[in-house]
Amino acid sequence: MTTATGESALQENGILGKPLDSREDPQLLRGEATYVGDIDLPGTAHMAILGSPVAHAKILSIETKAAEQLPGVLKVATAADFTDVMPLPCIWIPGGVESHFPPHPYGLPGARPVLTGDTVRHVGDPIAVVVAETPRQAAAALAAIAVEYEPLPVVTRADEALAEGAPQLHEAVPGNLNAYWTCGDKDRTDAAIAEAEVTVELDLVNQRTINSPIEPRGAVGDYNAATGEYTLYASTQGPHNHRFLLSALVLGIPFNKLRVIAPTVGGSFGTKGYLYPDMALVLLLSKALGRPVKWVDTRTGLMNSTVQGRDHRQHVVLAGTRDGRITAVRCTSYANLGAYPSTIGPGVATALMGRSISGMYDIDAAFCEVYAAFTNTVSLGAQRGSGRAEAAFLMERLVDRYASEIGMDPAVVRRKNLVPTEKFPYDNGLGWTYDSGNYQLNFDRAIELSGYADMPARKAEARTRGKRLGVGIATYVAICGVGPSTRMSKEGMLGGTWESANVRVHPTGEVTVTVGSASTGQSHGTVFAQVAADELGIDPAQVQVYEGDTLKAPYGQGTYGSRSYSMAAPAVALTARKIKAKLVKAGAVFLGIPEDKVVYEGGKVFEEGNAENTKTFAELAMAMWYGWGLPPEIEPALDETTHFDPPDFNYPFGTHVAVVEVDELTGETEVVAYTAVDDAGNIGNPKVVLGQIEGSIVHGLGQALMEAAEYDENGLLVSADLNHYALPRATDAPFFSLDKTCTPSPHNPLGAKGAGEIATVPPAAAVVNAVVDALSDLGVTHIDMPLTPEKVWRRLRGEAQ
Amino acid sequence: MNGRPEQFSAQPNELLVERLRDGLGLTGTKVGCDTGQCGTCVVQLDGRSVKSCLILTASAAGSEVATIEGVTTAGGELTGLQEALRQEHGTQCGFCTPGMVMALGELVDSTAGGEAPTEPEIREWLTGNLCRCTGYHSVVRGVQRACAAARAEAPAGSAAAGQEA
Repeated sequence: MTTATGESALQENGILGKPLDSREDPQLLRGEATYVGDIDLPGTAHMAILGSPVAHAKILSIETKAAEQLPGVLKVATAADFTDVMPLPCIWIPGGVESHFPPHPYGLPGARPVLTGDTVRHVGDPIAVVVAETPRQAAAALAAIAVEYEPLPVVTRADEALAEGAPQLHEAVPGNLNAYWTCGDKDRTDAAIAEAEVTVELDLVNQRTINSPIEPRGAVGDYNAATGEYTLYASTQGPHNHRFLLSALVLGIPFNKLRVIAPTVGGSFGTKGYLYPDMALVLLLSKALGRPVKWVDTRTGLMNSTVQGRDHRQHVVLAGTRDGRITAVRCTSYANLGAYPSTIGPGVATALMGRSISGMYDIDAAFCEVYAAFTNTVSLGAQRGSGRAEAAFLMERLVDRYASEIGMDPAVVRRKNLVPTEKFPYDNGLGWTYDSGNYQLNFDRAIELSGYADMPARKAEARTRGKRLGVGIATYVAICGVGPSTRMSKEGMLGGTWESANVRVHPTGEVTVTVGSASTGQSHGTVFAQVAADELGIDPAQVQVYEGDTLKAPYGQGTYGSRSYSMAAPAVALTARKIKAKLVKAGAVFLGIPEDKVVYEGGKVFEEGNAENTKTFAELAMAMWYGWGLPPEIEPALDETTHFDPPDFNYPFGTHVAVVEVDELTGETEVVAYTAVDDAGNIGNPKVVLGQIEGSIVHGLGQALMEAAEYDENGLLVSADLNHYALPRATDAPFFSLDKTCTPSPHNPLGAKGAGEIATVPPAAAVVNAVVDALSDLGVTHIDMPLTPEKVWRRLRGEAQ
Repeated sequence: MNGRPEQFSAQPNELLVERLRDGLGLTGTKVGCDTGQCGTCVVQLDGRSVKSCLILTASAAGSEVATIEGVTTAGGELTGLQEALRQEHGTQCGFCTPGMVMALGELVDSTAGGEAPTEPEIREWLTGNLCRCTGYHSVVRGVQRACAAARAEAPAGSAAAGQEA
């Protein structure tokens, strides 16, 4: 399993690895899937949230009487109504849990209350809520709530928030510093840099971006007074996790009285795994009013409340020899956590980024330090490729800078420094141990497929059309498959990071698989059915998959960090194997032969060497349902569960090559060709993964070329709707040249590695490298993202950054 | 509305998408951005695709409105475009999908008896619809497949195949 062959290790005749059509698609195409906004419980009242219009201020008074008297208004609530509700916990503590736990995970300094009563800390900070008969009435009543503010000074940049005399956000957090976090060997790295033949440095801004799932978040709370049970319908990618956090840590209600249901979720990319005030508020207000309470966000509301991504200011250094051998890399980063620590935001800004900075390279000395600071902006969280994309960006910019400095082709420098195949498992010196990889094979394939050797001719041809052609390479390693739980506790995660599955074989031979994971568009229903069917040797059409309802599904942590296929799918496979093992035992009884003569193959058991003596899967299922004639050591029925906690993470990787043309006259950058060769180990459904790869690349191109969350000097988010925040459209990318290599992971029984978001990791670096290449003869060594036409146009005319 | 008369009175400031979703329970049409950028709310008004978050209900009086619910019967056969998008997996979370089907139906219809659109034309047509999951490639492939099928099936000079709306 650990041998890198470059080819999938899956069975040729199996169902796994086949591009089956997604069974979710027909209902999506007919508009029949139910999203939170489509849920209409009888008697539903509608909630609207009053967000702060200012970024930093003391609240002197809140007057709600006028709002309460408006038509349709049922309740107006402020922080004073929820004094017994705990703040929203942050469950990823940089540096490890031991120093913080006990006393209480929710007692962390700076934790966000469900409503803010004293001080607002970012535009959109929720102050009050209205519940009314209609959404329009609720929204209209917000305008009648009078709030008196005493303005406080504002800071929106992490580095400035840490400076002497900066505005202070939280009394309990002196100097706005949430965490100073390091990884790697500082002394060794400093020494290597001091002694190096060549060093290069860059100051980088990895700008703040907004994930922008097309479905804004929503929540419906439904309290049943007769039973004392709460039901939350929410656009969540982690229903079990939200159930745990909300019941035990925020609301203080029994775990077994809260049910969380994730209906169809309209995209997430990381943002919908976080705990938000609205989730608690709809439950509390449903209980208070005796009616279901529904809230659906607006786009502007989303942009001012849902976690944002990236946002590092970095000083990075790379050291090497004159002949192209990288000897050290060092990063000092100022990470902007926003106004409050989000559910796992501090972990994204530290470990996910810092431990990944050396990428696919075998580097002797590496060190990263992160100052994670609070500012008057929306809380920071995950974003497709989170942490890994920021790491790849700095490393791949540095490699190009280094190659340019020593006058060597950037492809040659990269090839020379790739971790050799024989070194796996490879300890990167920053805290990750890469499981498996054949980086040379992957890299060479991408370079060849991109037509890299032809670039000089293409550059010359482009010049005749008034275009500057540039080529940029970026490689990456993405940590995926989070847990194991123990390893994550050392990382500071307050919670297990295993995943589970239940497989139930019905008397008629149909199979139900339930998983703790929850799809946000990844075709889990199709892919997990493939896994179970492949193991059991049955038709995937016989298998139905359920997830997303905590009452029905086994525990699980949810979909994040590209973990479902390498965490939940192995749980399905291992559970199916338990079913198989039981059928072999029972088969011996039913066939009247010793157990070691029983063969399970192709969905039936039969006697070795005597295929006539056989029982089909359906016959066995019925026999196990009846339970007649079973010896005492074999329980009737077929119903098994597995909780899978892997021995370690898995590490997909890849190489991307962007070719751009920069228009000499307008500064406009067009991506004219894009090659990606990714390695996600064994893939369950190539059609599903292809879509994720393509979407991920476009997401990454968005950061490179157009996306930015822009805050003005008053802390106002000026890009708070889609008229002011640019997302890539269909005309912004050509078709891509895609290929894959396959290095199975030894850390799960499917040999799987994460796939969903990995292709978001390198595109920003590849595109910026390409544009800098196109402008290199002008002395341009770096341009900050996004590479808008104006910014590039100014550089074409010799203006400084 | 989807071939059936609907009679109601609307407030002057009511948006068509509000009437569809809240008034008529036609929740296949989605709201994604409130500013006319994302295209999840696209429906057809007298055969032309429009963003229903930018149209007042009152201004649609007397028009024929087609929504995703009118394109197929519940649980029924997919149209040529929907089938092509299924085969190319032109959907992931599916939130933008109904709006895309409504916007692209017009394009596929118009090619049945005429020229097939080029890839840049398809991409241009799609710029009114945002998708964050797929990166559009599978959608573009789906439209190419649907147009090819529509042309193959249509008698010469006809503009029939594809959408029923």
